[in-house]
Amino acid sequence: MATIRGEQGAVQFDAAGSSNATVVGTRSWSLTTTKETLDTSKQGDTFRSFVGSMISGSGTVELVYDPDATGQATFLEDVVTTADTADATFELFTTGTTSGTDSVSFAGIITDMEITSTVGELVVVSCSFVTSGAITMNLE
Amino acid sequence: MAAADLNAIRATIEGRLATELASSPAIPVVFHNMAYEPTPNSSFVQCLVSFGANEYLSQGLTTNSQNRIIGIVTINIFSAKGVGSGANYIIGKRIRDLYNRVIVSGVFFDAATGPEALASPSPEGYFQTQVRVTFESIEEL
Repeated sequence: MATIRGEQGAVQFDAAGSSNATVVGTRSWSLTTTKETLDTSKQGDTFRSFVGSMISGSGTVELVYDPDATGQATFLEDVVTTADTADATFELFTTGTTSGTDSVSFAGIITDMEITSTVGELVVVSCSFVTSGAITMNLE
Repeated sequence: MAAADLNAIRATIEGRLATELASSPAIPVVFHNMAYEPTPNSSFVQCLVSFGANEYLSQGLTTNSQNRIIGIVTINIFSAKGVGSGANYIIGKRIRDLYNRVIVSGVFFDAATGPEALASPSPEGYFQTQVRVTFESIEEL
C-alpha cells in the first residue's frame, strides 16, 4: 500500500488542447464526477431499479498566485475565453506528471475564477471548471 | 529555480541592520555566534536570526513547487542603565523602521513587535528592549 500526499499532485493544462504543460503554483485540486441515473422501475416491482446515464464532472483548482509562474496566466485567463468550445484540456495528477499515469484527464471549460488578496496572506486564486466529453481515469 | 539559500536570507537581514547602525550615530552590532565585550554605560545591539517551521505552498514535490520559509529576527537593544528609556527607543525606532512591512530581496517582513522592555536584561547592567520581526521567504524549486 502506498498512500499519497497532496503535495505530490500537479495540474497540467493547455488552453488549445494540444500539449498539456504543468501549471506552476497549484495548491490543490478537486474533481467530482457524477453519473446520472434513470429509473427503470416497473409497475409490480417492490424495489426501485436504475441504470446509469450521462456522466459529468466538475471541480476546482487552487493556486498560489505568481504572475511569473509558468502556465498560470493562461490557466487563469481562460475564464474570459468567449464562445468557449471546450477545447482546453486538463490532466489532474495525484502524483507525478507522467501523462496517463495516476491522473484524470478531460477537456473542459473554466467557469469561474476568483482571485483573493488579503492583508497578511498570500494572494490565492481559485478556479472552477466543468468537464466536456469523456473523462479518462488512470487512477489505478 | 533552486533551493533557498538560507545564508543569503540571513545576510539580507543582517546586512540591512549593519548598514543602518554603521551610519551616524553608529551603534555596535553583534550577530549570532560572535564574541562581544560591551563597553559599560554604552549602547549596543544584538541581532539573532532564526529559521523556524516551513510549509508546503504548492504541489509538485521537488520540481515546479514552492515552500514557505518562515523565520524570526530578534533584535536586543542595550543602553545605559538608570538614565531612562529615550536613548534606547531612538535606536528601537531606527531598527523598527528598517523592517516594518518591508519587502527586500524576496524576504517579506511582517509588522514589527516592540521595542519591548525586558525586566531582566541579559547581560545585566543595561536597560534592554527587544524588537521582533517575523519574516518569510518563498522557496521555488
